[in-house]
Amino acid sequence: MTATPPPLPAPAAYGLRVLAEARRPAPGAPGAPGTPEEPPPLPGFAASGFNPLVADTAEHCLRARHGAPPAPGRTALLLASRSGDRATARAIDRAAEPGRRTAPLLFFQSNPNAVLGHLAARWGLTGPVVAISPAEAVPGEVPADALDAAALLLADGDAEQVLLIAAEATPDGHRAVAVLLAAQPS
Amino acid sequence: MTATAPTGPATGGTGPPGRPFAPAAPVPAAARPVVTGLGVLSAAGHGLDPLLDAAAHGKAAFGPVTRFDVAARRTTRAALLPDHLLPDHLPLDGPLPLAGIVLDAIGQACRRAALTGAQAAALPVLLAVHSDERTGATTRAVAAGTAARWGAPGVTRVYTGACVAAATAVADAAVLVATGRHERVLVAAGHLVEPGVFAVFDAGRALARDGELRPFSAGRTGTLLADAAAAVLIEAAPAAERRGAAVLARLAGWGRAGDAHHVCRPEPDGHGLSRAIRSALARAGAAPAEVGYVNANGTGSTLADLAEARALHRVFGPHTAELPVSSSKSVHGHALEASALLELAVTIGSLGTGLLPVNAGALGPDPEIGLGLVLDGPHTARPRYALSLNSAFGGANTALLLAAA
Repeated sequence: MTATPPPLPAPAAYGLRVLAEARRPAPGAPGAPGTPEEPPPLPGFAASGFNPLVADTAEHCLRARHGAPPAPGRTALLLASRSGDRATARAIDRAAEPGRRTAPLLFFQSNPNAVLGHLAARWGLTGPVVAISPAEAVPGEVPADALDAAALLLADGDAEQVLLIAAEATPDGHRAVAVLLAAQPS
Repeated sequence: MTATAPTGPATGGTGPPGRPFAPAAPVPAAARPVVTGLGVLSAAGHGLDPLLDAAAHGKAAFGPVTRFDVAARRTTRAALLPDHLLPDHLPLDGPLPLAGIVLDAIGQACRRAALTGAQAAALPVLLAVHSDERTGATTRAVAAGTAARWGAPGVTRVYTGACVAAATAVADAAVLVATGRHERVLVAAGHLVEPGVFAVFDAGRALARDGELRPFSAGRTGTLLADAAAAVLIEAAPAAERRGAAVLARLAGWGRAGDAHHVCRPEPDGHGLSRAIRSALARAGAAPAEVGYVNANGTGSTLADLAEARALHRVFGPHTAELPVSSSKSVHGHALEASALLELAVTIGSLGTGLLPVNAGALGPDPEIGLGLVLDGPHTARPRYALSLNSAFGGANTALLLAAA
């Protein structure tokens, strides 16, 4: 018997309001679990589809709010992933195997910040850049840990908005959700 | 582990959400966090004293990598923990050795803070480690060890954001304390040099070809990786006073900002880092001229060191030439996700001893840098404020501002 996961809290419970939201793959759309289509390739991120999906999901979310770059104000970036980019992590581990030529591009993919740098540069996001690994995460949902971290970033005051991207690697492919968050009015 | 269980907003995470305050608003003096516990393991040895001695005298701790085969690499040196400090858990590429050294650092910090079981029972633990297939197992081992030895509820949050991971955790801990959500928060971090990351850093030409880490120096060729674990206990000043805890330093300010420039290259003029520094100064209500020492990110990278120097010139203006600057990475190496906490430990220790870390490995001045580097030791100083800076891939920048106790 599979345990029912506890209900996920709403952003409002953390004093957050959702300005925009995007899910990739979109339910029922090409690229959804079980379908072959992948998100658009992201130059330099060749070892797996994880980072291209993160970028594509964030792109949809930011477009829904701002239309086109740049985003106004100060926006923090927060990437939450329990699984991390497993395929790239394995590629990095294998890089040290005897006789194997190490791909130089794996260097900047060795941590989760790199894709956030791509998004920040494209959209002019000048707030804090943060990556966390929640203990519990349901693919396609925003973990409570990430909402809590986003609320803390806004409380600190180095950004007025937080672009939170939750991404997970699953046996059926990668799943991501992005939400653009701001503090609820006092 | 008993981490942030998603059972609802009332029990999850770091506490009930609060309202934001104005950007970089000064923190009221009574709410400012202080550091009351500190533990560290580094290539210089076990504990803070050997690390401070190495930093004060510029004794670099780099040596040949013998833990794994580096014959195919351009660079073959790193700053590794002495073998006797590694836990007897094998294999070395498994999660347990890293958890072991992190738990050792946590133990040092809790003992130094004279923390009681009751005080540790609700203690949030923020952990900074590398994101890979071992992250979960390492976290569970740290959570289990912390719960068993100190009664803390587990690991509250795991930070994986590269070279600012630990500084981000420190800033979050400061916010949790300064906003009254928690009286004290433990921040821990660890990194062990392992073959895969070493190989890709080498392939990416990030490592020093000449086997020396020479921050801001003419002829610098890159960085060198390091083993380290560190832990600090950050506590509300009134709570520390009530329980009679000795204060090691005040965490007077903190700031975070992004470059919005590139996936891995720094913004060449250091605008992002300068905004992070200004944010830290604003929270402390401190003027740039009151800063008397900077422990710079200074990885030894040609581009990143220059961008950081430009950020310092932008913030400190004419004061820059007299401002003592060094990168303690030149002694203990670059511990990636743990680097910011290791450097915070060095900076706190230096405020205590009055001996600034030496910028080791310098071959000569780079005319584009123009910083007042601490080139010889011991260098005695009693700065009112000291900055510890870090930058990372993704254009992430952090500034932590410390004041003597």
